[in-house]
Amino acid sequence: MLSQYIISQVVNGLCQGFIYALIALGFAVIVGIVGLATFTHGEIIMIGAYASYYIFLACGHNLILGLLASFSASWIVGIIIYKLCYERFLEAPEHISLICTIGFSMLLKNLAQIVFGAEKKPMLNVIENQIYKFGPVEISKVQFVIMGTVIVLSTTMMIIFNKTKWGIALRSVSQNREAAALVGINVKQTSMIGNCIGCAMAGVAGMLIGIYYQSISPTMGATLSMKAFSAATLGGLTSVPLSSLGGVVLGLIENLGISISTASFRDVFSFGFLIIMLIFKPTGFVKRKGARP
Amino acid sequence: MAALLEAKGVSKIFGGLVAVDNVDMTVNKGDIFGIIGPNGAGKTTFFNICTGFYTPSQGAIYLEGQKISGLPCDQIAKKGIARTFQNIQLFKYMSVLDNVKIGFHINTRTNLFDAIVHSKTYKNDEKIIKEKGYAILEEVGLSKYADTMAGNLPYGVQRKVEIARALALEPKILLLDEPAAGMNPNETDSLMQFMLMLKEKGHTITVIEHDMKFVMNSCNHILVLNFGQKICEGTPDAVKNNEQVKEAYFGKGIIAARGTN
Amino acid sequence: MMDKLKGFYVKNKIPVWVVLMVLLVTMPLYVSAGNMRIVCRIMLYIILAGGLNVISGYCGQLCFGIAGFYCVGSYVQAILMKTYNVSYWLALLPSGIVAALIGAVVALPALRMKGIFLGMITIGFSELMRLIALNWTPVTGGAMGFKGIMAPTFFGIKMGGASKYYYIFLFVVIAYMFCTNRVIKSRVGRAWMSIREDELAARSLGVDAKKYKILNFMYGSFWAGIAGAIFVAYSTYVDSTYFTLDEGFNVLGMLIIGGQGTLVGPIVGSFVAQVLTESLRFINVWRYVVYAALIILMMWVRPQGLIGASGSILAGSKAGKKKTKKAEKIVKSEGKEA
Repeated sequence: MLSQYIISQVVNGLCQGFIYALIALGFAVIVGIVGLATFTHGEIIMIGAYASYYIFLACGHNLILGLLASFSASWIVGIIIYKLCYERFLEAPEHISLICTIGFSMLLKNLAQIVFGAEKKPMLNVIENQIYKFGPVEISKVQFVIMGTVIVLSTTMMIIFNKTKWGIALRSVSQNREAAALVGINVKQTSMIGNCIGCAMAGVAGMLIGIYYQSISPTMGATLSMKAFSAATLGGLTSVPLSSLGGVVLGLIENLGISISTASFRDVFSFGFLIIMLIFKPTGFVKRKGARP
Repeated sequence: MAALLEAKGVSKIFGGLVAVDNVDMTVNKGDIFGIIGPNGAGKTTFFNICTGFYTPSQGAIYLEGQKISGLPCDQIAKKGIARTFQNIQLFKYMSVLDNVKIGFHINTRTNLFDAIVHSKTYKNDEKIIKEKGYAILEEVGLSKYADTMAGNLPYGVQRKVEIARALALEPKILLLDEPAAGMNPNETDSLMQFMLMLKEKGHTITVIEHDMKFVMNSCNHILVLNFGQKICEGTPDAVKNNEQVKEAYFGKGIIAARGTN
Repeated sequence: MMDKLKGFYVKNKIPVWVVLMVLLVTMPLYVSAGNMRIVCRIMLYIILAGGLNVISGYCGQLCFGIAGFYCVGSYVQAILMKTYNVSYWLALLPSGIVAALIGAVVALPALRMKGIFLGMITIGFSELMRLIALNWTPVTGGAMGFKGIMAPTFFGIKMGGASKYYYIFLFVVIAYMFCTNRVIKSRVGRAWMSIREDELAARSLGVDAKKYKILNFMYGSFWAGIAGAIFVAYSTYVDSTYFTLDEGFNVLGMLIIGGQGTLVGPIVGSFVAQVLTESLRFINVWRYVVYAALIILMMWVRPQGLIGASGSILAGSKAGKKKTKKAEKIVKSEGKEA
């Protein structure tokens, strides 16, 4: 009975971890390519969730349509964020753009409360309740869909990053802006695309969270973005695979943690783990390089 | 002549790269000691080892016979080694006087509570800092720039501010990393006069420099590094006539060609 | 205009201070009780933003977690007063000191980190403090928090209500300004600033960066703790909802608006932010949207804040920006030639 409970917690943790991983991965892309951190991520999650919510209302339970809606909505917000918060401050001290994103996050959050209403909205039951059994492991269809979506999206992104000309331009900008400019890459546009990709990942994650918890609200993003932020920090902030690993680990730790205590301690476990991890290994999961400092 | 700064068998390895390879050095009191070598010879790395920014992979550094390698760099500064940087690292957004004032950090004692209650220590310290700070600026010839923001000054002057800041530590030995880089011949000349003047006053100086004229005319002892290894050491004349040094600077071919002529 | 004001101040130092003091001390006489509440809130945020200013403005350590220290100070005061019946005045200093000790604990991992990583540690810590306050029910009262925390009496006068409690706020603000002014003009303050400008160079001059960073965090969090301690008796109750991350961002926003690394910055920032949000009340829910838009506008127009000098390290340089632009231009012109 107990082991059954632990197994189901591991499955829940993995599923949650996959969502965190998707958000953290978007975060890592933004930090890597734009070179500046963001505090608007939580609101992007919220926008993605609402976009899919309205599409589900209008067009019925079409997962693909919802995904496209949240993807494109957050992509557009990504453009706005880039123009407002980053473009001018690419070379300025990082706190300036950080404050800008904090301001924009406040703006979006309050605007959403006015436009969408401050109360929670129940998400439609897009995926029917169905449970698959693999021996002792039980996975619901929702969890299956979520993990599948995350895996497909992140592999697509890895392929784009590593195999296409576009992805190579993105990576070159993340490594050295000046050198990229010198070989004729439009640094600004490339950074903007990077930012938009990161935002779109968060937007899709927003939809998945909405489906998973079956409720959305204007303030839903705050803790989620902090979790993703923690996950990305564990992964060294700019590494996409390690940030995803960080997300999965955090999801697992949270769910295993609350299985030995109560649900209200969920965040204590994740933030506690982050702090302890960073105290003993400031670089997170990243191996220390042997190069010259 | 007592040995002030000694390096014994110092090596530094970065991954697979041997940046400094088994270098010995002895700087005597009152020397102007030059370190020269082609680009990438490991001069700055060697400096960084002496000042504690890096710990040596092998060997050790001694100041007045006391081992200092392994200590953090602020401790080494307290023991009496002051340095300047190749790519000037001034506090660019602070005034020249404030830059020098920070140099007095190790020679003053004020703590948080002294500062809040304006105790005797605080008053003494501020008095000393003010007097000596102006005196140093006067000595270096920067009095007129005292209230200018350091980052707004021309390159040559910034170098001098950095030296003034290092002098405020009242160090036993002063390490200058390419002090004449980016200076015009006039500025270089006045810098050389300034260094000689410091020597007269009893300062010990170690200097990395590319400008041969500068080194040959001011230093009394020179160490030549190439690919991290010491290839020659001695007086300027001895170094000038050393075959290995010529080879390092001009390449084997040219020397050989000249030989057949 | 700033220069003229400064010139006037330098010439008439004593009269200016006397007039200012008289105006401040007599404030409850000519300001309505309702507006005194706003004044008290301004004072509270001056201390919070001031504490943060020491950490991020003077020492350049990015800190988003000031709400955590604020939380610690509040709860220590509340616990001492309610659980152990310690008098208000005696509990103040311990509240600040405990916050400072927690500050030192946060600073320890922070020593090896910079910039956004450090910011992340402070965020995690701030949330942790709030969650402990929310969940450690036997000690902190859990979600209910503490209620009925009485304002103190001072020589028989009960200091309850905004018009009277104002004097406690005023005293602490003056104490903060007095101490900080002296500290930043001393060896300690110079060491902090040298770390902000260039840590490597500071260490080469014998500044013990570790020690001074810890000291810096302790000093800043001490004042945030004191702010929390006087806040609980003012609001008479406390629970964990006051200490969200948004509160930390809010304080940081005020500091940025006023100007980091200046003594007057927190005052101006807190004043502008409170007056703005109060005077925008007539547009209801939209006022936070306007406030947020103003923060962004501020970053566009004056990133160094209202008071900050344009030549400060915090204003940002445009040199690097030009470099990239130049490189792009070279490529473009070469393309044309080809």
